[in-house]
Amino acid sequence: MLKMSHLSKIYRTHMVETHALRDFSIHVREGEFVAVTGPSGSGKTTFLNIAGLLEEFTGGEFFLDGVDVKGMNDNARSKLRNEKIGFIFQSFNLIPDLNIADNVDVPLRYRGFNGAERKKRIDEALTRVGLASRMKHYPSELSGGQQQRVAIARALAGSPRLLMADEPTGNLDSLMARGVMELLEEINRNGTTIVMVTHDPELAARAQRNVHVIDGQVTDFDEEPRLREPGRKGTDDNHAEATLA
Amino acid sequence: MEIRPIMSALMRSKVSMILIGLQVALTLAIVCNALFIIVERAHLMNRPSGMNESDTFVFGSNGFSEGFEPYSVMQSDLALLRGLPGVVDATTTNSTPLSGGGWSTGISLAPKQKTPTADTTLYFVDAHGVNTFDTHLIAGRNFKPEEITQMDQGLRIQPSVVIVTKALADKLFPDGNAIGKSIYMDEDPPTSTIVGIIDKLQEPWVSSKDIENTLLVPGYIPYGKFTRYLVRTEPGRRDELMKEAEQKVGAANTGRIVGKMRSMEQLRHEAYANDRAMMIILSVVIFCLLTITALGIVGMASFWVAQRTKQIGTRRALGASRGAILRYFLTENFLITTGGLILGGVLTYGLSLWLLANTDGAHLLPWYYVPMGFLCLWVLGQIAVLGPATRASRVAPAVATRSV
Amino acid sequence: MFGYYLELGLRSLRRNPVLTALMVIGIATGIAASMTTLTVMYLLGNDPIPWKSSKLHYVQMDNWDVNNPYGSDGKPPDQVTYEDAQALMQAAKADKQAAMFKISLPIQPENKELKPFQSLGRATYSDFFGMFEPPFRYGSPWNHDQDKEHARVIVLGKDLNEKLFGGQDSTGKTLRINGTDYSIVGVLDDWKLRTRYYDLTNGAFSDPDEFFFPYTTAIDLKQRSSGNNSCFKTPGDGWDAYLQSDCVWQQMWVQLDSPARLAEYQSFLDNYVNEQKKLGRFARPLNNHLLNVTQWMKDQKVVSRDVEVQTGLGFAFLIVCLVNTIGLLLAKFTRKSGEIGLRRALGASKRDVFTQFLIESGVVGLSGGLLGLILTGFGLLAVRALYEEYKTVAQLDWSMIAVTIVLAVVSALLAGLYPTWRACSVQPAAQLKV
Repeated sequence: MLKMSHLSKIYRTHMVETHALRDFSIHVREGEFVAVTGPSGSGKTTFLNIAGLLEEFTGGEFFLDGVDVKGMNDNARSKLRNEKIGFIFQSFNLIPDLNIADNVDVPLRYRGFNGAERKKRIDEALTRVGLASRMKHYPSELSGGQQQRVAIARALAGSPRLLMADEPTGNLDSLMARGVMELLEEINRNGTTIVMVTHDPELAARAQRNVHVIDGQVTDFDEEPRLREPGRKGTDDNHAEATLA
Repeated sequence: MEIRPIMSALMRSKVSMILIGLQVALTLAIVCNALFIIVERAHLMNRPSGMNESDTFVFGSNGFSEGFEPYSVMQSDLALLRGLPGVVDATTTNSTPLSGGGWSTGISLAPKQKTPTADTTLYFVDAHGVNTFDTHLIAGRNFKPEEITQMDQGLRIQPSVVIVTKALADKLFPDGNAIGKSIYMDEDPPTSTIVGIIDKLQEPWVSSKDIENTLLVPGYIPYGKFTRYLVRTEPGRRDELMKEAEQKVGAANTGRIVGKMRSMEQLRHEAYANDRAMMIILSVVIFCLLTITALGIVGMASFWVAQRTKQIGTRRALGASRGAILRYFLTENFLITTGGLILGGVLTYGLSLWLLANTDGAHLLPWYYVPMGFLCLWVLGQIAVLGPATRASRVAPAVATRSV
Repeated sequence: MFGYYLELGLRSLRRNPVLTALMVIGIATGIAASMTTLTVMYLLGNDPIPWKSSKLHYVQMDNWDVNNPYGSDGKPPDQVTYEDAQALMQAAKADKQAAMFKISLPIQPENKELKPFQSLGRATYSDFFGMFEPPFRYGSPWNHDQDKEHARVIVLGKDLNEKLFGGQDSTGKTLRINGTDYSIVGVLDDWKLRTRYYDLTNGAFSDPDEFFFPYTTAIDLKQRSSGNNSCFKTPGDGWDAYLQSDCVWQQMWVQLDSPARLAEYQSFLDNYVNEQKKLGRFARPLNNHLLNVTQWMKDQKVVSRDVEVQTGLGFAFLIVCLVNTIGLLLAKFTRKSGEIGLRRALGASKRDVFTQFLIESGVVGLSGGLLGLILTGFGLLAVRALYEEYKTVAQLDWSMIAVTIVLAVVSALLAGLYPTWRACSVQPAAQLKV
């Protein structure tokens, strides 16, 4: 589903050169629920941005669902992002000017669906997160948990193969957080691959597999999905690769 | 106050700063030059014509019937007009100040002089002319009734005596002893003798450069069968007498058209209509420009305040007083405006030089307009930014700890 | 997708009504100021007879005082003498030619209910009608023979015919003017001239001529011009001396149908003046002008300096308004960078974002343009109120309406371009983590 090999990302300003990622390799397979953990500044967000096609990378290789992403122009990347990836953000990122239905509608518009198709998908997605009755409400009229559900509905509406979640429960209290996690797990069970960035070990523990990032490198990972065999932790190789046979 | 940190914050939103500065610069340049044009026009319009304008009116009589004798009709008309209760005096004249049409000629001091010493207008009036115009003799004497001659457009004009304005007298005889001197209106004798000097009476053309040069000729000169009358009334009775004169003169002889009835105030209004229009248009431009610029500053400042709400909250949390926040935004605006004004000062003189090069009779903008403009725009900027800055100062320190 | 962007644009504009109003009013006043002044300038300077303005030429010859040029700029007099006009008319070297002068005479209606009244007209030759092409309602111009015969014939303007004969066909009837009876041969239809370009020496905006009769007849009747008369020395005594004098009081137009004819006429004119020099006239250097209609209008400054300054200021004002709009749009779009980043993350390409925000600025421009058009209407109304003489030129015409709309949209798009460019250079990732 998502395969990065020896990826590097260097930020250059006129003064400083920062290596956000170096020799970063990871392989996420279809249907997995992977948690990416690491302290702040470790490069998790950079990984998420690159994986989500939001940012370009400096070196290495990256295949998304078998498509070589390297050197793609903005239009092609936007299209790929729109079709294959759904995003969930820590701060929900709903557009305050748009009501719930219109928020879910945004990616569908860029997808180019016709009106009937969009309406059907909006209905489905909101029903799935249990907010179909709130369609005409504005984000400010909903609780945090409800807002995040809307964001999830928006991410799902285009039936993406991959869901990128960035601290999806970071702004929620524990009760709401649990609800959101359960929803994500259900989505994963229905076949959508999920990559979740978090620094919360409890949350990470609920994923099938953990990838630990420190200083722009993968230092710790479960080689195999936990469901198939128990987690095997640690590696002595500094240039560890998450490549799986 | 903390100018350096404000500057460095500004440098990070250069474009917005440049836009406001540019707007201020253009506003200064346009407002200064437009205001100067307005002041110059007002100056032109305020020049006195030298005659009584409030109580005086003119009208014309054009005969068409067979056997119409303009000279005798004129004499009976004048008698009628002077006899009307409320009329102070009346005369015939070929033209008046502010009317835009008249007779002009060159005056020489010697026969066959190549270039005339002065250009002047001629008003053909009778012995009542000086009194009807209500101008004042400052030297010499008025015309005597016997000096008034009947003239013809097709004949040479060379009156034996003339009265001139002081301006014309000074131009012709700078030594100041014009009375009794002879002047030539043509290249050959005979000459005319100056018998009187009046203090002031303008030419008919308001844009003439010799506007103060006027010469009174003692004569009656009909244009075909057309005669023009000038009538001065007692203060406050002009309008009623205009109606009465039109009706009574018209009735006295029906073989002619009485018309072109105009008060001198109407003539002044018409003569300066274009200047007045220019003044009004420029005033509107200035008003709109200042409004737009002020609103632009309000808009941009509001945006900056909104954008920096969190930062302001943080500052407040760190101990900045409301006054300090207010001062921050006022100082910021002052710095931007000043930058714009410096550029604007250059633009202002650029525009002034361009107008100077392309307009007849334009003058270079006096220097004091620029500092005045600076002051106005500084004040305008501070007032405009006051609202948003006050809003900024009311941002609660708690904003700093709020998450989104 | 356009519909979606339009909807987003409108929604976003409704979201900040004050800011939107500020931008729309800003553009509208800028457009109104520039278009009001531009319309006046354009219509003032507009070619009144585009299909033949390059063929009609105004004749100027320098017969002035050897010591003092007519104009301080060395230009020849703006009118010609009777003698020279006669010489050119008799030579008839042009394809058409007409000398003319302005007259003001009392009209004596037969209808006793109408009081006699003063009316402005023109003494000219029959070629005048073929050269300047006024439309005829009834009848036709007089002919060349009637020019030669000093015929008492007259062509009435529409308004005068309306006043005297209630708009009926009055050809064949008689009209008494200043004691002379004229036979009416033609009546003009509506002749809408913005500027009376064939006689700019007596005010380009004065009232239209109400009647026309033969020049030869006017001279017969010793009719002086009621327009400008300039002499550099006193004419001798009497009418004949006046006609022979160097006083200039007539306008002379010639129609020359090709550049070759123009060149021929120029040399004919030079020869004529050189011949006259031998007779002791034309003491100044040869300085003959044959300006065509548009050149003559420019020479006579039909578009006054004030109007040019106003137009310049109008456009400077528009620039200020645009700078203002750029600033406000920039502020607005920058505030939306979160939304832009999000839309990018959800699959919007740069082009999508660009289109969306450009449409938003386009909406601002279009509303500003429409409001500006209305304000321009008011502006022109105000100009008509302020300048009595511009009543024929302070009018919106279709081409100017089109220019206004185009100017508004182009202005707003230009103003929107930079903020939009900034908006779509927002990195999709940067704004997502708050």
